[in-house]
Amino acid sequence: MNQQERIRVLIAKPGLDGHERGARVVAYGLRDLGFEVIYTGLRQTTAQIVQAAIQEDVDVIGLSILSGAHLTLTENVIKGLKENQAEDILVIAGGIIPEEDKPAMQQMGVHAVFTAGSSIEEIADFIKSTKGESADD
Amino acid sequence: MTNDKIRRIQQQQQSWQENTLDKRVEKYQLPESPTRFYTPLDIKDHDFSKKVGFPGEYPYTSGNNPFDFWKAFADGAAKSDYRPDWGGAGGVGKYGGFGTAEDYRDYLIRMHGMGRRGGPNMAFDLATQCGFDSDSLYAEGEVGRVGVAIDSFRDFATIYEPYTGDLEIDKVPSNFTINAPAAIIIAMYATLAEKRGIALHLLRGTPQNDILKEFIARGTYIFPPGPSLRLFRDTCVFCTRHLPNLNINSMGGYHIREAGATQVQDLAFSMANAAAYLQAGIDGGLEVDQFAPRFTFNAFGGSMEFYKEIALQRAARRIYARMLKEEFGAQHPKSMMIRQPITAHIGCSSTTLQRPLNNLARSVIGGMAAGMSGGMPGAYPPYDEPLGLGHSQEAVQLQIDATRVMIYEAKIADVNDPWAGSYFMESLTDETEEQVLAELNKIDSMGGAVAAIENGYMQQTIARSAYERQKRVERQQDFVVGVNCFTGDKEMSIDINRQVEATYDPELMKTAETRQKQKLETLRRERDGKTVVSLLSTLKSHAKDPDRNLMPDFCDCVKNNVTLQEICDVLRDLFGEYQQVK
Repeated sequence: MNQQERIRVLIAKPGLDGHERGARVVAYGLRDLGFEVIYTGLRQTTAQIVQAAIQEDVDVIGLSILSGAHLTLTENVIKGLKENQAEDILVIAGGIIPEEDKPAMQQMGVHAVFTAGSSIEEIADFIKSTKGESADD
Repeated sequence: MTNDKIRRIQQQQQSWQENTLDKRVEKYQLPESPTRFYTPLDIKDHDFSKKVGFPGEYPYTSGNNPFDFWKAFADGAAKSDYRPDWGGAGGVGKYGGFGTAEDYRDYLIRMHGMGRRGGPNMAFDLATQCGFDSDSLYAEGEVGRVGVAIDSFRDFATIYEPYTGDLEIDKVPSNFTINAPAAIIIAMYATLAEKRGIALHLLRGTPQNDILKEFIARGTYIFPPGPSLRLFRDTCVFCTRHLPNLNINSMGGYHIREAGATQVQDLAFSMANAAAYLQAGIDGGLEVDQFAPRFTFNAFGGSMEFYKEIALQRAARRIYARMLKEEFGAQHPKSMMIRQPITAHIGCSSTTLQRPLNNLARSVIGGMAAGMSGGMPGAYPPYDEPLGLGHSQEAVQLQIDATRVMIYEAKIADVNDPWAGSYFMESLTDETEEQVLAELNKIDSMGGAVAAIENGYMQQTIARSAYERQKRVERQQDFVVGVNCFTGDKEMSIDINRQVEATYDPELMKTAETRQKQKLETLRRERDGKTVVSLLSTLKSHAKDPDRNLMPDFCDCVKNNVTLQEICDVLRDLFGEYQQVK
């Protein structure tokens, strides 16, 4: 990827959940793999995340949630993106997301869920292949 | 050791290296030997009396006690069908909490009906932990989720309704897993006792009250580190003077490790935090032996590295004891001990979502490390830890049985500090200690824990370590079975059966926010608004004086139904809010 084509990713921590190991590790990892990464830090409202994504003109939002509030928080982010005509932003999620909640996450428009044990390379490959395709459209 | 002996071993070692080791390394065409062998040369100056000592005596390397209290009851427990997770008389019950205070109260009543007694061991929801009332914008979606919601003293008192008679609060202890607003929760506990006519000195329990580690791990901070430490000082002085049987704090170790710290960073940062708390107590006008015996730690541990975790426990006890005695002038043995309910363990982040039953094998290894380093050999956590909130009954049964097998069948805990005197373990303990002290010096030179948090050093160091670990796993420099190796078609996944006890009614969870908000509305309508305004203004003026202890103000506020957030907001105005170093 050259400077112009760098995919921009917002790694975000919605809600009050303070577990940020995963978010920070993914942020470092994607940065090292050539992505432009912005990390919101802790305690962002879903509205703040949507706003940051639009302002920073990102291609991808990665939500990290380990508090069990993933369904509500993710839905609010996706709703916010739609309201702002920004549904072209790819939404992925990670954290402690039980297997049984994954279909619901996908249905509300999350493109992929990466739980513990996922590699950063996997995440990077997913983003590149998905975003790469849409860039060709 | 005499020079003669040293020389003889040196010669022997050299000849072994040339004639035995190197040949084998060559045979397998390796760059170096994949193992190491330790000899008396690795601990040449080892002084048993100074470095290890006897169990229950300074420097406590070999253990806090000649034998731990549970050993006295182990046989009796086996003969009486004792279940540790049911909570006994004199201890706290299972860690928990959800929904509104009423929901949690009803849950506790149900538990008591089943014979599960013991004091409340409270988990608070994130809004409460971060100082927000349930009707705050920040509380949206969080109310009653990861714990119970406490907005006012009324909520707190509701939880204690079933705690009367033989469960009265002078008979059972309470645990409060809360940090930033810990002072307010302690004020609520004292207020409850006062209203019930119970002398404060009879109250027992443990608030987590370890705010410094919230900035480096876990994240439920409110105010910047400086003012946060001032609030800690206030609780430390208040508890020492009025609630001398309440533990003052439960300091992290494992939270810091879970956030990504290495063993050495974990221990060094925890010690730096402990030093800051000790200094805060002294700055508050206390003698170290008045309050240090009431400091506790949570659980040092958190990796699969069996040997290193044993060395860590030994080094931790020695470092803390020396720090207390030599730097803080402590004389009381209890001041110098690392008191922790759980000792060595693998840490939840060592468990894997892939082939989860393997986590049982992992937790046993952590339990062995604990049993061999001065703790109870406990298998922790239950194997289904990474599958989401709520351990299944099956996983808990396996965990408890694994612990029993280690205690009763393998007899792991029948010997104190079985590694004492091992060339390898003594050398590893010394090495760990040296590295921790070097890291501690670095933090000291920055100005101590508060400075090393304000400048982001601790946070960034941990994040870097977490990333390094991730890279090692992805490059197969570190192996995790079933995750980055042995994942092919020849492997079999084991079906598991999980019954998660329906302890928390999902319907109640859903409606908790609405019900909690309604209660707040009623509270604000019913209480004496003028008193609230005047108490908050008094709090504000008192808080401006950094030497003033705010606990009496917090007690007045909670007694008069001032909410948790209203108190925090006054302090937010004055102290500011912590801004994360990203």
